[in-house]
Amino acid sequence: MDPISSYLGISCLLFTIGGIGLCLRRNAIVLFMCVEMMLNAVNLAFVAFSKIHGNLDGQVAVFFVMVIAAAESAIGLAIILSVFRSVASIETTDAAELKW
Amino acid sequence: MSFMEFVIAAVGIASAIGVVGFRNPLSSAFSLIVHLLAVAGLYALLGAHFLAVSQVVVYAGAIMVLVLFVLMLLNLKSESGRRIGIIRSAITVGIGLVIFLAVSGPMLAQFDNLPQATLDHNIKASEGGVKAIGELLYSKYMVQFELSSLVLLVGVVGAVMLAKRKNVQLTPREGGLGGAK
Amino acid sequence: MVELLILLLKVFVVMNLALVLGSTCTWLERKGSALIQDRVGANRAGAFIYSENRFVNVLLVPLRMAGWLGFINTFLCDSLKGIAKEDFIPEGSSKFLHAMAPVVAVLPIMLAFGVLPLAPDFYAWDYLVHARVAPIDAGILFVLAMGSVAVYGIALAGWTGNNKFSILGSLRAVAQMVSYELPMGLVFVSLIVIYGSLDVYAMVEKQQELLWGVVPAWGVVYQPVGFIVLLLAGMAETKRGPFDLPEAESELTAGYFTEYSGMKFLLFWLGEFCEIALFALLLALLFFGGWDIPWVSLPKGVWWAALIGHAVLMAKVIFFCVLQIVIRWTLPRFRYDQLMNLGWKMLLPVALINLVVTAVAKVLL
Repeated sequence: MDPISSYLGISCLLFTIGGIGLCLRRNAIVLFMCVEMMLNAVNLAFVAFSKIHGNLDGQVAVFFVMVIAAAESAIGLAIILSVFRSVASIETTDAAELKW
Repeated sequence: MSFMEFVIAAVGIASAIGVVGFRNPLSSAFSLIVHLLAVAGLYALLGAHFLAVSQVVVYAGAIMVLVLFVLMLLNLKSESGRRIGIIRSAITVGIGLVIFLAVSGPMLAQFDNLPQATLDHNIKASEGGVKAIGELLYSKYMVQFELSSLVLLVGVVGAVMLAKRKNVQLTPREGGLGGAK
Repeated sequence: MVELLILLLKVFVVMNLALVLGSTCTWLERKGSALIQDRVGANRAGAFIYSENRFVNVLLVPLRMAGWLGFINTFLCDSLKGIAKEDFIPEGSSKFLHAMAPVVAVLPIMLAFGVLPLAPDFYAWDYLVHARVAPIDAGILFVLAMGSVAVYGIALAGWTGNNKFSILGSLRAVAQMVSYELPMGLVFVSLIVIYGSLDVYAMVEKQQELLWGVVPAWGVVYQPVGFIVLLLAGMAETKRGPFDLPEAESELTAGYFTEYSGMKFLLFWLGEFCEIALFALLLALLFFGGWDIPWVSLPKGVWWAALIGHAVLMAKVIFFCVLQIVIRWTLPRFRYDQLMNLGWKMLLPVALINLVVTAVAKVLL
C-alpha cells in the first residue's frame, strides 16, 4: 500500500472513531469535540487528495472548513451554555424531554 | 511510511481514542488538543505548511481554549448517572468498525487504479506556502472567501446574543416566570 | 547524517542561548528591581569567601566580585534551593496533568526560538550556514501559534491546583492571553503587508537598507504605531509588567502558581523569563533591524560580520529585556477590567486601523 492510501486510511479511521464517540457519549461538550474530530478527519482527506492531484484546491477547501468550524464552535458552545442555564446539566439525556 | 509519519499518526489515533474513552470531560479536551496538534503535524508532512500552522492557531489555539473555558466555568464532573453498559458499547464499536471497513475498503482497493496515486508528484514546499494559497483564495474562490467572512460575522453576533444573560424577570402577572412580588 | 549533526548543533546553540538569556533576565530582574527600589539586592552569597593562603586569596577575587554582584545568589543558590525543595502534588487532581503543566507552558517558548534568525547567513568552509534551526516558510505565524499553545500550560496549572485561587487566576490569565493575541496577530499581518514575506529572515534583510538615504529602514520607522501596539500586547501576553494580575503576588496568593513549589515553579519562572527574552528578540528583529548597525554596512557572508551582527542583536535584545523589567517595576498594576478594556476597546481598533492604513499606503506608494 503506497503512502497516500495510508493517509486516507487514517482519515477514515479518525472519522469512524469520531462517529463512535458521537454514539457513545452523553456529555454535550464531548459530543461537540467528536464532531470537531470528524471535521478534522475530512480535512486530512482533503489535504491528502490535494497532494495527489498536485494543486491547492484541497487546501483552500480545508481553509474554508476551518473557518466554518470556528464559527460553529462559537455558536455551539453558546447554545450549550444556554441549555445549561435552564436545565442545569449538560448530559443529553437530561434535556431529552420537553418542559411540561 | 517513514518513522516520523508513523509516530505522528499513532499519536493522532491514540489521542482520538482518548477523546472518546476518557470519563472526565477535561481529559477528553486535552486529548483532543493533542489530536489536533498531531493532525497539524500530518498536514506539515503532506506539504501544507500554512495549513499546519493555521490549524494550530485556529483549532488548537482558539477553539479548544473556548471549550476549556466552558468546561472550567461550568465546573463539570464526570458523567454521572447510569453508564452505558458494556454490551451496548461493544455493539456500537462493532457497527462502527463494520462501517469503517465498508467505507474505506472499496476506496482503498481502487487506489492502485489511479495513475498518479503516489506522493512523487509533489507540491513544492513553497507552493504549500502562503503566497500560493492567497493567490488562489483571492482569484478563484473570491466569492466563498467573502461569504465566509459573513459567516464569521454571523457567528460572532449569534454567540453574543445566545450567551447573554437575560436579567429581566417578568412576574407571572406580566406573563413571565419570575418570582411574584 | 552530517545534516542531522548540524541540526543538533544548532538546536544545542539556540537552546543554550534561550536559557542563558532567560537566566540573565532573572539576574537583571533581581538587581534591576533593587536599583529601582533604592536598595542593594542580593549581594551576600559567595561575597565572603576567604582563604588563608595568600595566593588562593588573590584567585578568589573574581569569585567574591561575582558574589557581591549577585550572580552566585541568582544562578547557583536559587537553583539549588529549587531542586532541593519538596515536590508537592495537591490531592484530588491528576498527577500527570499537574506535572505536565510547566512543560506545556515552557516548551512552546523554546520551540518559538527555533524559527527566529540569530545572525546573518554566513559561509563556513563553503557551506552556507543559516543561523536558525528551522527555516519554516510561515515563520512569524509559527511564533503566533506557539503563543497560542502556551496558553494551555496556564490552564492546566490552574485547574490541577484544585483550589479557587488557582482556577480564578488561570481563567483570568487565559482570557488575558487570548484577548491580547488578536492585536499581536494584526501587527504581524501589517508587518507581512509591508515586507511582503512571512519569513523573519527576509524581513530583517529588508531592514538593512537606508530610507531616503538618511534614515535606516527599520520597522519602527515604517510602523511606529505597530511597535507600540506590539510592545503592549506582548507584555500582556507574557503576563508581565503592568499586566500581571493573574500572577499578582499580593492579590491572588500567587494565582495559578499557588500549588507549585520547587523545580516545577522554577520551570514556570524560567519559562516566563525566556518568554521575555523571546519577545525582546521579536521586537529587535522585526522593528529595530535585527543585526543592522545603522549607516554601517558589513560585507555579507563573512563569518566575522555574522559574529558582529549577532553581538549587535544581543545588545538590542538585552536593551529590550531591561526595558521590560524597568516598565514592570515602575508602573502599578492594571485592574482586570482596565486590562480587558485596553485589549479589546483600545488596542484592537488601533491595530485594525493600522493594518488598513498600512495596506492602503502600500498600494498607493
